[in-house]
Amino acid sequence: MELTTIELTKQYGSKTAVNHLNIALSNGVYGLLGANGAGKTTLMRLLCAIQTPTSGKIILNGKSIVGLGEKYRSLLGYLPQHFGYYPDFAALDFLLYVAALKGLNEKTAKRKSEDLLESVGLSAESNHKIRTFSGGMKQRLGIAQAMLNDPHILILDEPTAGLDPKERVRFRNLISAFSKDRIVILSTHIVSDVEFIAEKIIMMKSGQIIHFGKPHEITSEIDGQVWECSVPTNRAEQYTATLNISNLRNEENGCTVLRVIAEDTPIANAVKVQPNLEDLYLFYFKGENDR
Amino acid sequence: MSKLIRFELRKIFTTRLTQIALIAVLLLSVLFSFSTYQNKYAFDGVSNEGTGRTAVEIDKSMAAKYEGILTDEKVQQMMSDLVPKSDSHGLNAIYIYRNAMQSAVAARFSDINGNWNGLSVSDVFGKEEIKIGYVDGWLSTSQNIAKVFFILSLVIIIMIAPVFSAEYGGVDNIILTSKYGKTKCATAKVIAGIFAVLMVTAFVAVINILIGFLLYGSKGLDCSILFAPLSFVEGYIPFNITCGTLLKYQIILAFTSAISVAGFTLILSAVCKNQMVALVASATVHVLPIMLPVAETSTLFRFIVLLPLYHSQFLSIMSVEQINGGMLYAIWAIPSALAFLMIGCIASRKAFAKHQVS
Repeated sequence: MELTTIELTKQYGSKTAVNHLNIALSNGVYGLLGANGAGKTTLMRLLCAIQTPTSGKIILNGKSIVGLGEKYRSLLGYLPQHFGYYPDFAALDFLLYVAALKGLNEKTAKRKSEDLLESVGLSAESNHKIRTFSGGMKQRLGIAQAMLNDPHILILDEPTAGLDPKERVRFRNLISAFSKDRIVILSTHIVSDVEFIAEKIIMMKSGQIIHFGKPHEITSEIDGQVWECSVPTNRAEQYTATLNISNLRNEENGCTVLRVIAEDTPIANAVKVQPNLEDLYLFYFKGENDR
Repeated sequence: MSKLIRFELRKIFTTRLTQIALIAVLLLSVLFSFSTYQNKYAFDGVSNEGTGRTAVEIDKSMAAKYEGILTDEKVQQMMSDLVPKSDSHGLNAIYIYRNAMQSAVAARFSDINGNWNGLSVSDVFGKEEIKIGYVDGWLSTSQNIAKVFFILSLVIIIMIAPVFSAEYGGVDNIILTSKYGKTKCATAKVIAGIFAVLMVTAFVAVINILIGFLLYGSKGLDCSILFAPLSFVEGYIPFNITCGTLLKYQIILAFTSAISVAGFTLILSAVCKNQMVALVASATVHVLPIMLPVAETSTLFRFIVLLPLYHSQFLSIMSVEQINGGMLYAIWAIPSALAFLMIGCIASRKAFAKHQVS
């Protein structure tokens, strides 16, 4: 299965959210990284055919997804960043409704719904109204609905938002087990989630892809530019203001270990370390979210 | 599809605002009927006088004396028996109310002093054969139903406005990416909306008719609406139809109103991004025609009365001249409602399928 975008562009008035984007995605897990406003959500909505591109097209196995219509949507699972729900529906009812929308027969719908509620740790709450759910529980319900039809293309926008560490691990395991022979695209601000499960990283900025590749390939971009150094704790704040710090760890001896992204030695005692995705993210997007 | 329709019906009927609105319309039905009943007054001219149930009993017994086809002899008899000729201190005898039968005969055949005005039955009603009897109860019921059906049309807007627009709060993401989201789901929403509207309209109509039977019995359903107390003469429907026929038309018009309102509300629901906007826009579109400066004598008025507001407020559409075979012009409400419905179904489905999630 290959999902391809050709010169995909989406404009909102004078703002270009996705800019002549070309990418070919085959089976695997893709992590979509980018600062707020980079165009990640718009790209996902375009891939889900719930927004119409200003120009360009999306092709699945050589056919336009517009022409495929129901056939394409039957392959699709989507967890939106902010998803609505029916407060008076119980979790199981909500999944049965989504299953009906996805064309599952009654028996399969019930079995799949119960299995997925179990998988996301909500089986005990299956008959509770969604209005009583916490943010994390709603998010898990959202993940369950996206997977109801065993989608071949699973698109997850901020799937780990609101999940506690234990649930994030459960989610990562669920996606890893699910992803075989499927295209899974997930965007998140929690870079470590992507680092664990994504086979390839798509890094977006201003509606364009600035990096696309395996995690170790794209982190090699900043080889030699990540440093660790120890500074007195009382001076750490001063360094934080002037340097691009990706991590800061206080030691018991009154020192703080800084992880710094810089082209040249930032501090005299700094040593080079292996870059990770978080370093790369900060290298490209330092200050973007503050705007 | 049937499962989707069931889910959509559940969504419609579990909305808190809809539940409150439905309870309100039922309570108002009861309130209007019983307050009208309690406010009934009658005096038989001799010794019996009363309100509420007593008044209805007096009116029924008075009507029983004269029921049948209206003749000049009956008119003279009624003028002699019922219309007061005592000094009314300058008050026009036509406006003096003692009981329903007295008011009916005075309205057509009395001068200001309570004497016969010289008109014969054929002078007043032409060649029409007028069957008289106790019509006050059913005509009052009809007036109350008109108010209830107008309120019902607003309740329908409350029910239907969220059908599509409520999904735009975030569930649209999930619906429109699912296999049947842009196709069967949109159809199920339309079908469920129409079905819900028909069910509620039927229920409200049945409740009101049952209350009518409970309070006034079946007497008078086969009598002409033309020989009625004064309040049903001036500005009322000028055609010789029975109370039963009047109620049949009125109920048909309630359904055509409901269907038409559902039609344009579905469109606005699919187009508006917010359910409150859809609700206000639909209510505005519904009520706006009453503010149009179009005289009832204008040709344009014949088209304006085909708008759903005039279906529930049945007097205007029922008063437009008759068409062939004694059929009232109001019958045009049926094709008009079907047109509203078809346009509503097609346009709302298209708008929902093309909705851009934001």
